[in-house]
Amino acid sequence: MLRWGMVIDLDKCFACQSCTAACRMENNTPVAGKDQADMGRAILWNEVLPFVEGEYPNVHTTILPRPCMHCDEPSCVKVCPVQATFMNEEGTVLVNYDRCIGCRMCTVACPYAVRYFNWYAPEWPDALKEHLNPDPEVAPRPKGVVEKCTFCVQRLRKAREEAEAEGRTFNATDYTPACVETCTGRARYFGDLNDPNSLVSKLSHSPRAFRMFEELGTHPKVYYLKQG
Amino acid sequence: MENSQSQTQKSKLSRRDFLKIGAATVVAGAGVSVVQSAKKPVVTQSGSLEEAIIKTTCALCPSGCGLDVRVVNGKAVKVEGNPLHPLNQGVCCLKGQTALEVLYSPERIKHPRIQTGARGSGDWKEISWDEALDLVVDKLAELREDGKSHSVALMHGELRGQMRQVVNRFMRAYGSPNVISRESLGEGTARLAMWLSQGVNTIPVYDINNANYVLTFGGNLLESSRNLIGYLSATAFMRRGRPQRGKLVAVHPRLSLTGIKADEWVPIRPGTYGALALGMASVIINSKLYDEDFVRDFTYGFEDFEDAESNSHQGFKSLVLESYTLDRVSAITGVPTDVIARVAGEFATNRPAVAVLPTEPGELSSGNALHTALAVHALNALVGSIDAQGGVILQRFPELTEWPAYALDSDARKGEKQERLDGAGTQFPLAISAYQNVPERILKGKPYPIEALFLLNDNPVYDVPNGGQSVEALMKVPFVVSFASTLDESAAHADLILPASTFMEVWGDDYLEGTGYPGISLRRPVVEPVHDTRAPGDVLLDLAQRLGGSVGKAFPWNSYKELIEDRLSTLDWEKLEANGNWSELVYFNAEPGSPAWNDVVGRDRLNAPKDGRFDFFSRELFATLAPDSDLSCLPHFEIPTTLTDSTADSIEYPFLLVTQPLITQSQQWQGIVPTLQESYGLQGNVKWDSWVEVSQKAAEALHLEDGERVWVESPINRVQATVRVYAGIWPNAVYLPPGQGHHTFVRWGRKSKENSIVGANPNMLTKFDSEPLTGLAVAGPARVRIYPV
Repeated sequence: MLRWGMVIDLDKCFACQSCTAACRMENNTPVAGKDQADMGRAILWNEVLPFVEGEYPNVHTTILPRPCMHCDEPSCVKVCPVQATFMNEEGTVLVNYDRCIGCRMCTVACPYAVRYFNWYAPEWPDALKEHLNPDPEVAPRPKGVVEKCTFCVQRLRKAREEAEAEGRTFNATDYTPACVETCTGRARYFGDLNDPNSLVSKLSHSPRAFRMFEELGTHPKVYYLKQG
Repeated sequence: MENSQSQTQKSKLSRRDFLKIGAATVVAGAGVSVVQSAKKPVVTQSGSLEEAIIKTTCALCPSGCGLDVRVVNGKAVKVEGNPLHPLNQGVCCLKGQTALEVLYSPERIKHPRIQTGARGSGDWKEISWDEALDLVVDKLAELREDGKSHSVALMHGELRGQMRQVVNRFMRAYGSPNVISRESLGEGTARLAMWLSQGVNTIPVYDINNANYVLTFGGNLLESSRNLIGYLSATAFMRRGRPQRGKLVAVHPRLSLTGIKADEWVPIRPGTYGALALGMASVIINSKLYDEDFVRDFTYGFEDFEDAESNSHQGFKSLVLESYTLDRVSAITGVPTDVIARVAGEFATNRPAVAVLPTEPGELSSGNALHTALAVHALNALVGSIDAQGGVILQRFPELTEWPAYALDSDARKGEKQERLDGAGTQFPLAISAYQNVPERILKGKPYPIEALFLLNDNPVYDVPNGGQSVEALMKVPFVVSFASTLDESAAHADLILPASTFMEVWGDDYLEGTGYPGISLRRPVVEPVHDTRAPGDVLLDLAQRLGGSVGKAFPWNSYKELIEDRLSTLDWEKLEANGNWSELVYFNAEPGSPAWNDVVGRDRLNAPKDGRFDFFSRELFATLAPDSDLSCLPHFEIPTTLTDSTADSIEYPFLLVTQPLITQSQQWQGIVPTLQESYGLQGNVKWDSWVEVSQKAAEALHLEDGERVWVESPINRVQATVRVYAGIWPNAVYLPPGQGHHTFVRWGRKSKENSIVGANPNMLTKFDSEPLTGLAVAGPARVRIYPV
């Protein structure tokens, strides 16, 4: 069985935020606008966060790109009262928007704060609706549901269909989420963690590898490689 | 309509499908089958979705990366990097990612329009292209008949590929010397320094892939350099792609993303990069760490020397050893002596090492831009990094079809000889352009009244407002035409707007710059034009045909596409179309002293010998100026008046305003791309707004708190911003990001639709002046004070 995971090399990430933008354009997350953004309601599944420490002139800043960690023990799934959020057989944590009742338990339970609530029905000026990704999986979500990174499930589906159409076996390397494809420093790696020979698998065992809040027992499938 | 229908249909499908996809393994959307991978450049029709990947070239920053655009049912829906493009090799920055928000922007001007009320009144009437072009042609023909062709000027921002020559050709054939580039605000400094020292008139390219030590003076290498993606991936490669890890050191008053991600940030007093570079040169020479063979055989003016007339001159070595001692340089720059000595030592001993010049506006323009750039570039010569692997390399260009010859008629010849509007070549003998000088000269009617002004990818009212002077200047010109795509501040004061299509709707090309090796990147329409807009290239060609005579004859092409095909016909067109680009992919470094060497050192010198020697002592400057003192020909440092702390201004306005472009803005589309607004200020965590970075020390002294609204006031204007107390800034400096404060109407935000201006424009605070000789912009750092609103 496949088990999708990601590795992000912080030494090669330059905080360019291409992942943030690529994710939005691929997954049709709505523009929040100034007022909503000021309230912290911007929906960016893949934000890049700065942590500035120290005092002038000895300043140390850590830059952390933050997708959903797709935990093996996801606290969001545990708290969802209606089983709207779930982990599929390949380890990807998803939301069934039709089941979601908008209680936001999961947004509180998620230690990584990567679950986003639609406070309003998504809005675009008419002209801008033209560029929305027509893939059915990413049709704009309605008001009142929670959404999050899906490792671009639509891309996985299309990659499988393509393999089928070409009459070959689907290979884990056929599929790349949008953020990985666009990463300007090539800091992101994606693949099957169950395959010991995959690049992600090897990198996840690197001495530089760590996971966020590992002590919480969530077992994230997103690994980071330390800087320096 | 059709689209919105299918949209709702799809959204119904998706919710049901989603569970299936999640729970089971593969489910194709019922009724919608998408068998096309986003990776393949082919068109197929399957089910209701017709899908294609079309290759084009980005135009949102000067780099010009290759893009693969996913087009479904005639609508562009996603942008990826073109894996076959040598610049970006499949990746794409956030500006490219959001290019669709540019293409489908509700802010775009949909038809040609004429301002019927007073200019700036906003009373517009939409007219047809024919009417609009007739108006322009009538005006141009009339002025030409009256012998005033030179009174027509064209100001432009970045011009791409063949447009560079097309614009010049048009204006020359018409009879005006006034093609004025925005270069003097930014990259013009690096170009001029290259010419006056190395003897090549070009913007330098840095071979970071092969460098072991990269030292950037100012600028924002990893956010806003001209070859952004190239430098980003090269830096990643330098770190993790090879056995030995290279080091990146960023010198800047502010800790930008480049500084954060660099191995070391060296904070420095604003405006003093030149002194630091000379101090480092002094350390390197004093410790004999420089490349002695290279300096002896291939440079000029290192040691003191006698010229042909037996006059003795000072050399670079004695100048820096005498005048730029560690203590003095440390006092000027505020960088501790041990840091200067250590970085200099590291730079000289970890070769290949390269010292990088910024190309962004405002970075070097403290009034000593030229000599600062000469000082920085001299470091590259000291360590032998001239056209060496891991050093400064030169952009080569492919051989294209010759431009057809064209004859200038007597009007054109007469116009060509007139003095330029910006004073380049007259008031500023070394200048290529002096953009910021234009408004003042227009207002003074010098050297002659301007009768018509064209603005191409250009917005002087925003970029060099000079306290309203730019607006006044536009108002004084009787006929102003803008090629703007959105109603920017300058277009708002035009008579006529000939709206430009976006890069996704037109044919065009880009030189593959930033790699060194020659190449061309093809731009082609990805979708049908969304609005009634045209490419400026096509418009110029049309105007030329309508003008006829010698102007018409200079442009024997029916469309810009035809021009491109003609010019690029020397290349493998099939490959160009299939790959989206053509390039040679190999850069041949010139061996010092070899025949190729004369192409990289001395090639473009006019008055100095083309002897393959890099000039520490600029013979070009010496020949042009015949100066009294040797100092004018040697890289040296003078403290700009704005930086001296004893003036009256410095007490009233205690802070120095630094600006530094962010990765989240694209020139020409600033402020109106919503996703860029939503990820605008990473360090400040600021979206849809400006912020002013204040040091911890200053915040304490002024009792300012994070998040407070303040006025930032300079002697000429004031703007509002939100305070961010930031550890990463020179204590005496404040930082305002450029790119906000546009008066374009931003229709975002659910509650405050009427509140249209987002953030503040730091250019409003700056008095733009020009350096004598070079015409480069002098823009600060402006002195400001800060107080709560």
